[in-house]
Amino acid sequence: MFGTMSYNKQKTIIIVSFLTIPLLLLGVFTYYPAIKLIYYSFTNWDGYSPEKPWVGLANYREVFSNPDIFKVFEHNFAYFVMGVVQNIIAIYFAVILSNRLRGKNFFRILLFLPYIMNGVAVAFMFGYVFDTTNGSLNLLLGNLGLSGLSQTSWLGTEGLVNYSLASTGLWRFMGYNMVIYIASLQAIPRDIFEAAKIDGAGSMQTLWRITLPNMKPVIQLNLFLTVTGALEVFDLPFVLTKGGPAGASQTYVQRVVETAFAYNNYGLASAMSIILLFFVVFVLLIQQLVLNRGGNK
Amino acid sequence: MKKKLFSSGISMVMVMSMLLSGCGSDSSSGGDSAAKTDTNTSTKTTAKEGADISGKITFLTNRTDMIGKEYDDYLKRFHEKYPNIEVELEPSQTDYNQQAKVRMASQELPDVMFIPTIPNSDLPKYFAPLDDLGLNDRITFKDFKVADGKVYGITSGNSTSGIVYNKKAFADAGITAVPKTWDEFLAACEKLKQKGIVPLASNFKDKWPLNNWVYDLPRLIENNPSFPNDKLNTDTPFTMDNGYGKAMSLLRELNEKGYLEKDINSTNWEQSKKDIASGKFGMYFLGNWVINQVIGAGTTSDNVGFFPLPYDNSGTPSAALSPDFFYAVAKDSENVDAAKAFVKWMLEDSGYEDFAGFIPPLKDKESKLPQLKEFQSGGAKLQEGTVDDPVVTDISNKAQLDLPAVAQEFVLAPDPQKVLDKWNAAWAKARKEVKH
Repeated sequence: MFGTMSYNKQKTIIIVSFLTIPLLLLGVFTYYPAIKLIYYSFTNWDGYSPEKPWVGLANYREVFSNPDIFKVFEHNFAYFVMGVVQNIIAIYFAVILSNRLRGKNFFRILLFLPYIMNGVAVAFMFGYVFDTTNGSLNLLLGNLGLSGLSQTSWLGTEGLVNYSLASTGLWRFMGYNMVIYIASLQAIPRDIFEAAKIDGAGSMQTLWRITLPNMKPVIQLNLFLTVTGALEVFDLPFVLTKGGPAGASQTYVQRVVETAFAYNNYGLASAMSIILLFFVVFVLLIQQLVLNRGGNK
Repeated sequence: MKKKLFSSGISMVMVMSMLLSGCGSDSSSGGDSAAKTDTNTSTKTTAKEGADISGKITFLTNRTDMIGKEYDDYLKRFHEKYPNIEVELEPSQTDYNQQAKVRMASQELPDVMFIPTIPNSDLPKYFAPLDDLGLNDRITFKDFKVADGKVYGITSGNSTSGIVYNKKAFADAGITAVPKTWDEFLAACEKLKQKGIVPLASNFKDKWPLNNWVYDLPRLIENNPSFPNDKLNTDTPFTMDNGYGKAMSLLRELNEKGYLEKDINSTNWEQSKKDIASGKFGMYFLGNWVINQVIGAGTTSDNVGFFPLPYDNSGTPSAALSPDFFYAVAKDSENVDAAKAFVKWMLEDSGYEDFAGFIPPLKDKESKLPQLKEFQSGGAKLQEGTVDDPVVTDISNKAQLDLPAVAQEFVLAPDPQKVLDKWNAAWAKARKEVKH
């Protein structure tokens, strides 16, 4: 029955019908809640009652007048540092595993596997690794003869806890970054490398002058993922430390969740989320500005 | 060729949508037939007692571990008494309180549930009064979930808090009598420590195991059940010499003397139960609900003892009595009577409180737990708590005050007075904002 329609008409129908479902899902589960979130941020809704009293900008004023709220970003900084380290390691492995190497697929799978695991399960697992008295990490350090280090309270020392947690993130997401880098490495035309080789370039020169510049857009993407990931950490400290010791590992999102669900202040929590959103956009803009200074095109 | 591809694509879409709509009509007809059988059973009235009440109710339970085990037995016995009531159990996700609130917001409450943390004035919006159950003279904490003079919630069981200890560990360390004063308690801790046993498992890291230190002890120390509500009248609720400061100082002292876990920031709740059971750890300061869990972790009931924490040197300790979750029946339930019958049965006949290790919710019932008998043999006075003042809760939420977290800070801080100052300031600010 569609045979009689014109080709263009058929095309429109197909496009519309195929786009409807994903657009509907996107609208219902992304944009509708986002709009609601903006609305809630102007109310002091308690999370369950039918009334949602409008309070205007009071929530935003409260967030910006409470220095405590922004202080937790210091804790997120550790995740950013570890994220940068993670990207460097990922590039390193990507370069190595793109060369001819015996069993490289095996190693790729090995490094990628942690990413597939459930975040909460990973966090739970590392709870046993970092345990002070019975943990495997301290046991290993003790057996290596580092008895001074083997008493370390990995999750109980204020300056250390965020790095301990972030290193778990590194273990988990490094493989993911690596796979993206490998894909971009394979997209670099082989003949550039050959030409460089003929001209007598060493392997370090090839890396700095050819490989890295060609991967720039992908590095940018991964850095963006790292930054937003660092700003939005939640599951690791939530499962492992509950923000402890005494709030030293509390992250911004955890604070938002507590404000909403423990202290029944959905309005304030929504305002905090909106601010985080703008924060991410802001960081992204700065990053674009800095990385594109060299003139991309 | 291309044309064909497109038209076959369109027909695929058509087929898909037909399939989808087919599913829809299928399920609705299924619902119809279920409703039909329902009316059939309700028309067949039997002479048995309780048979006049019928209907299908759901119960949102936090004890997911009991589904398929104890609940099966409960429902079987319940069914003998009320053959026409069908009970469906809905296991809660990890956070009962949160899940219940989401259901409240969406107006889709299960028929029987526990009351989450909402102000009492909101109770009539969601729940049906339970005064007509005929239990009002027998229930404990009758005034706890009351709005406009009507009872909206009945406690499912009560707890007290105290020291749960491993009797063998105590005997090994040479402790012959249960400590009656704080000094004796410290001496007992020292003996356990000398034996290589961790005296008291605080589970400090997990925060909630500190609840009894900040919710029970302060009001006992002050000998004032409404002490937590008295915060309302002051800008400095936390001082070193009032209940809060004193209670948290006790915990701090235990930590300074090395009587808690070696690293209190790295504790493991599940493991600690096994360690108490095996005698590697000596004591818990928790509610009596933990007794059965310790026994379940691998020891016998006669190896677990329970006594009130002697928080001072007076020798006459008292202990706090606190309610657990409160049963409630949804106002908009289609089968309010059936739901009420179920609540009544759970309170009177189920035996849930003994399984869960609670002090019975009904005054005329006695606990079957030997540990609770031991606890009361010492002559401990049980202090019933009072309802939280909603204004105090409002101020606490506004100040983002979480007492167990304050206790954590207090114990870890180099200068605990600074922690109290910080929270006093937050309290004073929030109090001003909420009041006007």
